[in-house]
Amino acid sequence: MATTRANQIDNITPRFALLSDDQKQRIYLGMIKTLNDTGAHVHHDEARDILEQHGARVVGERVFIPPQLVRRALSTVPPTTTLFNWEGEESCRIEIGRTYFGPGPTPPFFIDPDTLERRKYLRKDAAMVARVCDALPNIGYVDSLGSISDVTNGLADLYEHADQIQNTTKPLMSWAFNVENCRDEHRIGIVLAGGEAEFRQRPNFIHYGEPISPLVSDYHAMSKCVYCATHRIPQVYTPCSIGGATVPASHAGQLVVGLSEAMVGVVVAQLINPGTCVVIGGVQSILDMRQSIYSYGAPELSLLSAALTEMVHFCGLPMFSTSGCTDTKTMEAQSGMEAALSIHAAMLSGATFVHDNGYTESGKTGSIFQTVLDDEIIGMARAIQQGIVVNDESLALEQIKRVGPGGHYLYEDHTLEWARRHWRPTLMDRDSYEDWDRKGRPAMRDRVVKKTRDIIENYEGPAARVPADARKQIDAILAEAEERVRSQSRPKQLQ
Amino acid sequence: MSTSSTCSQISEALIAGRQEELLKHIHSALEQGTEAEQIMNEGLVAAMDAVGQRWKAGDMFLPEVIRSAKAMSGAMEIIRPKLIESNVKTMGTFVIGTVLRDLHDIGKNLVAMMMEGAGFKVVNLGIDLEPQVFVDAVKEHKPDILGMSALLTTTMPQMGEVINALKEAGIRDQVKIIVGGAPVTEEFAQEIGADVYAANAAATVDKVKAMMSAA
Ligand code: B1M
Repeated sequence: MATTRANQIDNITPRFALLSDDQKQRIYLGMIKTLNDTGAHVHHDEARDILEQHGARVVGERVFIPPQLVRRALSTVPPTTTLFNWEGEESCRIEIGRTYFGPGPTPPFFIDPDTLERRKYLRKDAAMVARVCDALPNIGYVDSLGSISDVTNGLADLYEHADQIQNTTKPLMSWAFNVENCRDEHRIGIVLAGGEAEFRQRPNFIHYGEPISPLVSDYHAMSKCVYCATHRIPQVYTPCSIGGATVPASHAGQLVVGLSEAMVGVVVAQLINPGTCVVIGGVQSILDMRQSIYSYGAPELSLLSAALTEMVHFCGLPMFSTSGCTDTKTMEAQSGMEAALSIHAAMLSGATFVHDNGYTESGKTGSIFQTVLDDEIIGMARAIQQGIVVNDESLALEQIKRVGPGGHYLYEDHTLEWARRHWRPTLMDRDSYEDWDRKGRPAMRDRVVKKTRDIIENYEGPAARVPADARKQIDAILAEAEERVRSQSRPKQLQ
Repeated sequence: MSTSSTCSQISEALIAGRQEELLKHIHSALEQGTEAEQIMNEGLVAAMDAVGQRWKAGDMFLPEVIRSAKAMSGAMEIIRPKLIESNVKTMGTFVIGTVLRDLHDIGKNLVAMMMEGAGFKVVNLGIDLEPQVFVDAVKEHKPDILGMSALLTTTMPQMGEVINALKEAGIRDQVKIIVGGAPVTEEFAQEIGADVYAANAAATVDKVKAMMSAA
């Protein structure tokens, strides 16, 4: 056909809009006013000095940040940042409009893949989780789902980083107890990138740090933020705000405080090194006022996360959101319900990183089974997110005419072509009754366990390709860290 | 007005978390000559038991419970000295803090407030505390119970350090120790030689009460 339609849009992906322009403006101004009038505690001398030099008012540990400083910071955050894997291939683009789902960091407990019982998280789990995430098509980045309990106390973060980075081709998100461990993680990144300058060009992990709600940047969080900014390590700086406990119970109030505490990190990072990548957002949910737990399955988590995504985008930043998590202890209908809703909401809101896919028991137990279940849900949500293509080919008027009333489409070339695009389940049950019965009537839980164990057994991941020399250097960094911790924790003489 | 009706007014105000009104009723009850012990047992403790039951049944929610707990704490400040004067056994003193290198605050505060609600004198030491701070606090406040909170696997061993420091100082036997926080388990509590583990704030109150009445 020789003609095209003017101003044509073939495909609009669905997005929901929660906040009106006016609401966004008011929450934004609430943040600006909070930073200016209430301020925040910054337990870090250097950061306070820098803020003061640039016009912030500093009273003791408290810093009052004027609007122009926030606006200036927002003007230098990079619109897009590329992450690479250890092999130097592009693994993700941190920018508004691209969405990567992944697990979350550090729960103390883990569901044992063999016994399905809760136990402590072990070093071997970190590499396994990285491999499984590597194999799952809808998981876009890697994190640990636990904190390693069987290494030297205080080095769980470093071992996790060392093991995970080698076991995935996807982007890695790492955390650290303190700036020393953060520096060692950076050194491992540098070894694999082939040099400090190479790492700056091709950063192979993103750091994850947390200020304290309400409105406190503690020494460790801030020193890691400063370190990452100085060395151009992309970073996430996000609180875990607890509605009704550490932030107001009203959602608008929670958004104001949540945004403000993260913004302190953005301002400091941009002052130190304009153009360094900072992602904000966080876990945004409520304290359950009956059970006094921080709920990871509440509908408020989805609502607040989606709203904060809009606010963070309003500020021009990429969002770190939350989904695929549950308050349940075992895989059952509730885990699927809670995960499905939060994943769908996160997908439609368009956050950049969406973490905690695989959190159970309100963030206290990591489960790779939940991640595998979430992978399927993310696939379904993505099928909806892709929207509907409307053009001459997809309208299929010719085919409709040819088949006419009473015919069928099964034999059409058009069907062959377009049916390929239908979403295909890997876990969802669409068997006939007879087939399902013959297979031993497997429930979703059984299918998830089977799929997960298949991946654990059969998927190799890239670790075997890590050059021996690099591995040796990484081991040396770990050994040095062991020595450092040993020397720091020499038993104190009591009395 | 009869003492029983004053006690029921006290209960009502406490359950509703209306501190000013509660204190007014307590003062007038005392002026009328009602014994502090009676005010405590028939007014305050009865009311807080009801609050606890309603919370567990889901009829009251946390912010309401905390209002009552805070009101109770205010009431006990008036009542406690009078109980001591007349040699009546009080609920005792509870010292609580989050251990070294751990900055998690909210769970510990909740436990502290619930213990205030149960009539304990509570000393909340804060977060990120050196073992010595616990030792000093035990020496200074002579608590019946010492509570420690840790939310990180890396800081859990600090609870054991505190217990060791108390032993070194020769005062481990003077307090009962209760521990809690997200990664803490019953087995871990036993391992480090704590007396009790509690999974949440309500369980803390129940277990401490049980421990006190067994003592
Ligand atoms: C005396 O007797 C008792 C008896 C009962 C006791 C008790 C004492 N203490 C508590 N209880 C019990 O009763 C309370 C009331 O019912 C309960 O208290 P909780 O505190 O459990 O419950 C509260 C009412 C609500 N819950 C909470 O407040 C904790 C929620 C989670 C999400 C959490 C939060 C909010 C925070 N955190 Co942190 N944080 C997590 C938590 C995950 C989780 N789901 O627990 C946990 C504990 N954090 C963790 C981590 C890793 C970290 N955190 C960190 C920081 C923070 C924030 C500051 C951002 C924030 C705290 C803000 C504040 N003002 O307190 C960092 C460490 C900072 C430090 N040095 O302490 C950092 C290291 C993260 C980082 N990368 O920087 C994980 C620990 C993992 C591990 N294996 O150790 C974690 C389980 C999250 C996760 N899923 O991975 C019971 O546990």
